[in-house]
Parts: sequence; C-alpha cells; structure tokens
Amino acid sequence: MTPDGISLSGVGKTFAGRGKVVEALRDVTLSCPKGSFTAIIGPSGCGKSTVMRIALGLETPDTGEVRIAGKAPMGAARAGETGVAFQDAALLPWRSVRRNIEVPLEVLGRSIPEARDHVQHMIELVGLKGYENALPGELSGGMRQRVAIARALVTHPQILFMDEPFGALDQILRRQMNQELQRIWTETGSTALLVTHGIDEAVFLADRVVVMHANPGRIVDVIDVGFDRPRAPGLFSDPAFHRVCDHIAEVLHGG
Amino acid sequence: MAAEASGQWRGLRNVAILLLIWEIVGRFDLVAGGALPGISEILIRLWIDWGDYPRHIWATLYASTVGFLIGNALGIGAGVIFALSPTTLRLFRGVNIAVFALPPIAIAPILVLTLSGMAPRIALAALGVYFVTMTATVIGLSQADSRATDVIRAYGGTRWDVLRRVQFRGALPSILAGLRVAAPNAVLGAILAEFGGGGRWGLGAYLLGSLGRGEPDRLWGIGLVATVIAGLSYGLFALLAARTIGASRAVTLNTAVPDAAPRAGHPAARLALTLGTIALPFLVWWAFIEVTGVPDLISKTPWGVVDYLFLGPTAESAQARLLAALAETLPITFLGMAAGLGFAFLLAISSRLFPRAIDAFMPVALVTQTMPLVALTPLLVLILGRGTSLTLWVTISVTFFPAFVTLAQGLALVPRSAEELPRAYGAARWTEMRMVTIPASLPYLFAATRLTVPRALLGVMIAEWLATGKGLGNLLNQSRGFLDYGMIWTVAAVSVLLSVLFYQAVVMVERRVLRRLGMATAE
Repeated sequence: MTPDGISLSGVGKTFAGRGKVVEALRDVTLSCPKGSFTAIIGPSGCGKSTVMRIALGLETPDTGEVRIAGKAPMGAARAGETGVAFQDAALLPWRSVRRNIEVPLEVLGRSIPEARDHVQHMIELVGLKGYENALPGELSGGMRQRVAIARALVTHPQILFMDEPFGALDQILRRQMNQELQRIWTETGSTALLVTHGIDEAVFLADRVVVMHANPGRIVDVIDVGFDRPRAPGLFSDPAFHRVCDHIAEVLHGG
Repeated sequence: MAAEASGQWRGLRNVAILLLIWEIVGRFDLVAGGALPGISEILIRLWIDWGDYPRHIWATLYASTVGFLIGNALGIGAGVIFALSPTTLRLFRGVNIAVFALPPIAIAPILVLTLSGMAPRIALAALGVYFVTMTATVIGLSQADSRATDVIRAYGGTRWDVLRRVQFRGALPSILAGLRVAAPNAVLGAILAEFGGGGRWGLGAYLLGSLGRGEPDRLWGIGLVATVIAGLSYGLFALLAARTIGASRAVTLNTAVPDAAPRAGHPAARLALTLGTIALPFLVWWAFIEVTGVPDLISKTPWGVVDYLFLGPTAESAQARLLAALAETLPITFLGMAAGLGFAFLLAISSRLFPRAIDAFMPVALVTQTMPLVALTPLLVLILGRGTSLTLWVTISVTFFPAFVTLAQGLALVPRSAEELPRAYGAARWTEMRMVTIPASLPYLFAATRLTVPRALLGVMIAEWLATGKGLGNLLNQSRGFLDYGMIWTVAAVSVLLSVLFYQAVVMVERRVLRRLGMATAE
C-alpha cells in the first residue's frame, strides 16, 4: 500500500436514530494508490457517502483506521492536501464565482493575492472565463457545478473527493462534465475518489469501481477497468464498455 | 425515539428547575422586595380572587373572539382578492403596512372616541388579526403547486376552478398557521384596548386597576390567566393545523418557477399606482370618520391634524410638546430595538457554538411567541419601578424573543453542505461562522428588524403610558385627560407614520443590500 493515497481499513460506523440502530458501514477496507481514480457505486443508503464523509473527517468511524496521504483525515484537510466537491454545488450565494473558488484558500490561511493567477487558471480550466464576478444565482446548474469542481481543485489537492458531483445534471451535460473531469484529473495527477449513482459514469472515469451493498453498508466487489487513457466519448458506445457496465449491474443487483 | 424521549424529559426537567428557582426566589422576596412572589403565593391569591375573574375573563374573551372572527373574515377576503389581483395588492400596500406597523396603544384612544361599548376592543383585536391572516392567505394562495394548477388548466379549467380545486386546498396549511399566530394577537389587541380605553371589565382593566394597589401576587395572577388564555388559543389552532397539514404537503419537489407579479407597463400608470398606494391609508382614515359620524370637534380628518399642528392658534405649543415627546421616545426606541436585536443575533449565531444550550432555550423562546408580552408591562413596573430602565427592558423583551425565533429558524435552513465546506478544509468553528453562518443570517436579520420596528415603538409607548410619564405614550395619555382631541389624533397619526417610515426604510436598505449580495428576501 502506498502511503500517499487513500486507505481505509476495517472501518465500521453505526447511527442511532428513530428507535433503531442502523449499521451504516461494516468492515470497509479500501486502498486507493496515489494517482489512481476510484469510483464507489451502490444503491441509495448503502453508506457510500458515509465512506467519503469519514475519509473527509466530517464523521469519525466507530472502528477501523483511516489514513489520507499518510495522515489522519482532519490533519490532511488542515494541511490542504484534500479537495472536495459535494452533491449540490454548495456555493455561498453572496460570493462571486471567483470568491467562491477562493473559500478553501481562505480557510487554509493562504494568500489570496498570490493565488490570483492560479484562481484565474482554474476558472478557465472549467470553462467559466468571463463569469468571474457573476453570483451563483446568475449561473445555470451545470455552471455552478463547474465552479464547485474548480473550488475543489484550487488548493492543488493530492486527494480529490467527489460526492455525486454531477447528480443534479441532465445526461447530456453529465457526459460533457465527465469528459472535462477526466481532462482536469489527468492534468493535476491527483488521487481521486468519486461517489456516484451512474454505472456508465463510474466505468468511463475510474480505474477501479467499488461496488457496495446496503444493510449493512459493505463492499461486495472491486472491478478493475482497464481501458486506455485518455478515454474518448466514443467509449460510451463500445461493446467492451457495455460488457463492463453489465457486469457491474449484475454485481449491484446481488449477482 | 429514545433520543426524542430523553429530549422531552430534559425539557420537562429544565421547566421544573426553573419553577423551583422561581418559587425559592419568590418566597424569600429576593426580587425588588417581593415584586416577584412565589408560584404558590400567586396560585393561592388566584384562588382567593377567583370570584372576580369570570366577568373580566368573559369581557376579554368576548372582545377577542368577535375581533378574531371579524379580522379573519376581512383578512381571508382581502387575501383572496389580493392573490387574484396583484394591482389591488400593490394599491393596498400602504394600508397593509400601516395596519402591520401601527402601535395599537396609539390608536386605542381614537377608537374609544369614535366607537362605543365593546367596539373599540373588538376593532383593535381585529386589527391585530387582519394582517397575519391576510399575509398567510396571499402567500398560501400564490404558492400553490404550479404543476397541479397546470393540470386543471390543461383540462380547460377556469381561474375559479383553479382557485377552488387547487389553491384553497393548498393554502389551507398556510392559513391555519396564520390563524395560530393570529389567535394570541387578538387577545393582546383586546387587552391593549382595555389599557387605552378605560372601562371596568376585562383582564387589561383588572391589571391596570390592581397596579396602583401594589399587590404583586394579584398582578401576577392576572398576568398568568391572560397568558394561559393566549396560549390556549394558540394551542387550539396548532392542533387544528397539525390535523390538516399532514395530508397536503407536496411529495415531490416543485421545480417550476412561480409567476412574478406583472409590472404595470406605462410609467404614468405606475406613478398613479404609487400615489394611490400612499393616498389610500388617508382615504381610509377620512372614510372612517365619515362612516362613524362623530362631530368635527372630537374627530380629526388628515386635514384636521395638519390644521391643528401647523395652522391653528395653538400650533406652536402643540409642535413644541410633540417634539419634546419625540425626543424622549425615539432614542430609547432605537436603543431598545438595537439591544434586543443584538442579543437575539448573538444568541442565534452562537447556536453553532453551543447547540445544546440553544436547543434548551428554543422552547422558552417559542412559548413567549404566544404570550401577550407587552401586556405584562405592569408586572415589570413592580420589579423595575417607573424609570427609564423599565422602558428599555420592556422594549428589549418585546423585540428580543421574536427576533431570536426568526433568526434561529432562518439559520436552521442554511444547507448542510454549505456549512460543511469550510469544515472539510479543517476550518475552526469561528471561521465557519464568519464565512457561512453570519452572512447567511443576513436576510433573517433584516426580516427580524422589519418585524421588531413596530413592536419596539409599541413597547416604549406602553411603558411611557402606564409608568414613566414621559414621551409620546405619556403625551397621548395626558391629552386624553385634557380632552385635547387634536393632540390625540396627532400623536396617533405621527406614531403610525413614524412606524411606517422606519419599516419602509428597513425594507429599502434590505432590498439594496440583499440584491447586491445575490440573496433573496426572507419572509
């Protein structure tokens, strides 16, 4: 196991609520080598978002150990080694695009003037040149999501967490964003962990797809995806691509 | 379930501890030499006095119930018309703001002069109800699920079909929530009219009569009964609302954008509308005098007030007295409001730092929403005396609680992911508050300010009227004694006008600031 990636070993988590105890995660062990792209897929309520929240340090596991780039999750976060994009864009409505992207820099206490060119570069990377001073309310859903991606990347993170970042987008826009995400990820060379509902999205982007089942939340299979990179949009209609998708669907449905 | 039960248990325990402390403090006369009696003493006195209560309770209940019915009929009727015609809504904006912002105590003497018997009390109770119900009706009707209205329209349904089949049913939870808030308002309105109008029966009259006799246990007993009546009226409609609302919540998310109010096209038409909006409240005033048919000597039209204040033989003395009173009243109004809002703001944003302490406080703050707080001023007179500190505390207490509830409930709506973002980068609680919580609370701070402007003025005027003998409230009370009808109408008009102007100023600042920040106005 490389110490630079993401490593969870024997992670368990239970929530108490509504008169019963829910076992959200049981014995989840996962290791993502540096520079790899891992996707977690599973039905609603299988605990895939909980895995990510534990890796981010927003939740603490009941059992097991988590190392992010060799550090405890919060330690890695405070060192600025992680980037995160949530399910909804989670933009602050009173801040412009530029100022929203600067939020992680502010939290980490980094110099904003020094990062000016870099922030501009990020804005251009996600194709929002000319919208630097727009407020989130003036942007479309896809544009907001791209701001969230730029914000996740602005700290040069070694580790990139994404929790269904394109869940609210339509299929067309989603494919477009998948393309862009692949390009951006290739340029930054970070270790990526993507939580998603979409099988094709997971297969298109990831080196490995982790399939989870619910009750209790657990990993049932890890499927390697070996397509060459960069992957072109044509891959979506490749028979080999569909075979992998069908296989994952079988595993998902208890096969 | 276990967590909920233990939460309720904790709440009960807190209440028990509070009552115990009250009893001990009261028994040993620790507050202002016995101004706060123990609970047992209050209850014993209530038992002894019980023979006096039925007639007082009946008078207050009668006025507030009739006022509640009339106010709601007007509120729902007006709400339906406003929802159907945005132009009418626009035209009545001035009247609606005036009804919302008027300090009831200021117009109580006018109602007593122009109406007779129970009518002044009923009118004030109805005024307290109208605005709440009208707003709830308009919001409820205009927030109807646009997909459901589309279904009716798609089958050729008329405007009336849509109103009948979708909007009324959809508006019911909102209207019921409005009635819940309006019910204790009616009780408060009736009591304030009793303060301002004399008369022998009614809890307000009873409070006022007992204030001079210096019997703390009796005063507290009356306050307790008034609070229980207001609380029960709230509880009745809360129960009704809980039984109906369950069935009419949307199951899926409505993604269609609601229709914006159509803008009047021609600039001249818009100007006419604005002028009409300003003129209408004065027309209503004038029409009210015409309808009641009270002689000119007693009732003053808008022109009558201008004549009294600027043209008549006593104009100079009137101006001087009015200005002196304003110089007393306005600073303390702003000070009390700022303090009340400031405390509420600090407490609400610190809920992120001490969530459990705020959770424990929230039920108390919610209960105060059903209490006729400002009607309990006589109780504060016992504790604080008749000085300026009384005015300040009355004002703070009537602004703090509603402001806190508005802010705390607003902050609970901030999306979780927005708060988690700084934390995901290892931000400290303080950084999270600075970057997310405080800016996100701005719309609610404005909403709270709008809400508290008229209450602050009411609080100050009540304290001045009942106790301190200064300012606008006292000028009004004195003029009543001297039969100075011109001054009574002038003070009423000036205090309503000031309240409306403050309110409008807050709205304008709010719009500019929130538009710049790309945020929406909070209701």
